[in-house]
Amino acid sequence: MKRSWSKQVLGVYGMLFLVFIYAPIIMIAVFSFNSNPINMMIWSGFTFDWYLTIFGYPTQLNEQTLYVESTDQLLKAVKNSLLVATSTTTISTVLGTMTALALYRYRFRAQRFYQGLLYMPMVMPDIILGIALLVFFVSVGMSLGRVSIIIGHSTFLISYVFVVVSARLAGLDDTLEQASADLGANEWVTFRRVTLPQILPGVIGGALLAFIISMDDLVITYFISGVDSTTLPVFIYGMLRRGVKPEINAIATIMLVLSFVIASLGLYFRRRH
Amino acid sequence: MARRGDRRRLAFLLGPATLFLGTCFIGPMAVMIAFSFLKPGLYGGVEWSFYHLNYGRILGWADSEWESFDPVYAAIFLRSVRIALTNVAILLVICYPAALWVSGLSARWRTLLVFLTTLPFFVSLVVRLFAWVLILRPSGFLNSSLIGLGLISEPFDIIFTETAVLIGMVYVMLPFMFLPVYASVEKLDRSLIEASSDLGGSPRQTFFRVTLPLTLPGIAAGAVLVFIPSLGNFIVPDILGGAKVMMIGNLIEQQFLSARNWPFGAALSVMIMVVMFVLILIYLRRIGRPEESA
Repeated sequence: MKRSWSKQVLGVYGMLFLVFIYAPIIMIAVFSFNSNPINMMIWSGFTFDWYLTIFGYPTQLNEQTLYVESTDQLLKAVKNSLLVATSTTTISTVLGTMTALALYRYRFRAQRFYQGLLYMPMVMPDIILGIALLVFFVSVGMSLGRVSIIIGHSTFLISYVFVVVSARLAGLDDTLEQASADLGANEWVTFRRVTLPQILPGVIGGALLAFIISMDDLVITYFISGVDSTTLPVFIYGMLRRGVKPEINAIATIMLVLSFVIASLGLYFRRRH
Repeated sequence: MARRGDRRRLAFLLGPATLFLGTCFIGPMAVMIAFSFLKPGLYGGVEWSFYHLNYGRILGWADSEWESFDPVYAAIFLRSVRIALTNVAILLVICYPAALWVSGLSARWRTLLVFLTTLPFFVSLVVRLFAWVLILRPSGFLNSSLIGLGLISEPFDIIFTETAVLIGMVYVMLPFMFLPVYASVEKLDRSLIEASSDLGGSPRQTFFRVTLPLTLPGIAAGAVLVFIPSLGNFIVPDILGGAKVMMIGNLIEQQFLSARNWPFGAALSVMIMVVMFVLILIYLRRIGRPEESA
C-alpha cells in the first residue's frame, strides 16, 4: 500500500518535471500566433502575421507597430547559418569518421593522447574556445568571417562525430571485413561495400548532430563572426539585447520545429541497428 | 605498429585531423595562454613583453601605475563559483527523483522519456532563454498570470536578479545532470535494494546507505558536467541577469569586446581552464574513465 503511494507521488513529480521542460517552449509556439501587438503575453486572437512579417510581407500588424526588423538581415543570417553548418558538417564528418576508424582499427603509442585531444574540445567551456580562436585568428592576421566560423565550429564538432561513430564502431563485426579481404576485395572496396554500410547510421547520426550544433551555436560564433557574417543565433541574440519583439516568437518557433525534426532524425539513425 | 602498410594507412586516416586540430585547437589554446602573460597595450592590443600581473589582478593586486587594490574581480569569481555550485545542487534535487521515476517505467516508456528529456537540448540556447525572458519580465507570463488571478496587484521584479539567472541555468543545463544520473540509477541492481529492505532497513536507510552510494558516479559526472559550463557562462547572466548579475563569463567577454584588455581576459580564461582540468582530473582519479559513463 505504502509502495504504490510513493510511486504515485513519483509519477506526479515526473509529470511536473516534463511540464517544466516543455511549458516554456510550448508557450513560445502558442504566443507566436497571438495578434496582440502591445503585450505579447495577453491573448487577443489568432494570427499568422508575425510569420508574414519576418518574411517581409506587409501585414496589418507591422503597419501599426514599430517592431519592423530588417528581413534582409534575417535572411542573410539564415543563409550564413546554413552555409556554415553545411561546410562544418562536411569537414567534421569526414575528419571525425577518419579519426574514429584510425583509433578503432590500430593500436599505437599516441592513442591515449588522441583520445584526450578529441574529448578536450567537448568539455572545454565554449567561451574559452571562442576567445582562444578569436585571439588566434587575430594573431595570425586572419580576417573574421564565414571561414573563421567554419574553422571554429569544426574544431569541436570533429569530436562529436568521433564519439558517435566510435560508439557505432564498437559494435562492429570485423569478421565481415576479413571475409571481404579474403575474397580478394581491395581495401577501398572493402571500406565502401562492407565497413561504410555498417557504420553509416553512426556517420549520418554524427553528421546531423554536427549540423544541428553548428546551426545553434551562439557563444563561439559570437566571438569569431565578423561584421557581415552574422549567423541566425547571433542575430536573434542581438535582437533580444535590443528588446523583446513579437516576431522573435515566430522566428524562434520556426527554429524550434527545425531543431526537433533534425534531432529526432539524428536519434533515429543513432538508435537503428 | 606491425606492418609498413598499416603505418601508412594510419597516417592517412589521422593526418588531416592531426593537422587541423593541431593548428586550430592546440594552436589557439597555446596563443591564449601566451597572451595571459603579456603586457596589455595602452589602447587595446598587447605589448610583447612578459607581464605577471594579469593573474595578480584577478585577486585584487594590481599594477600600481594603473589602479589600486580592488577585490572586485575576486568577488565576481566567487559569485560565479557560488552560482555554479547552487545550480549543481538544484539540478541534483530536480533530476534525481526524475531519474528514479523514469527508471521504474517499462522499457518503451524509458526510451521515450530519455528522448523527450534530451530533445529540448537541441533547441537553440537563445530560444530557450528567450522563453524565460517572456515568462519572467515585468509584463511577462508569470506577472500577468499572478495579476490575472488576483494574487498580486503590482508586477514584482524577478528578471535581472540572481534568481532569474539560476532559473535560466537550471533550465539550460538540465540534460547534463539528468542523463548521467539516470544512467547510474538505471544500472542500479534492484535486488540490492530489496535485500536492504528485507534485512529490515527503512526506506530512508536504504536510500542513504544503498541507493545513493551506488549512484554516486552518476552524480559526480553530472556535477562536473554542469559545474564547468555554468562557471564560464555569459549568455544566461547577460540575458536574464542584465548588468546586475555579473559572472566571470561576462567579465571575460567585456575584456575582449569592450575593455580591450586581452591579456587580462586571457588570464581569466586560463583560470577557468585550470579549474576545469583540476575537476576532471579529480573525477577521473576517483570515479573512472569517461567512456564508462557515456
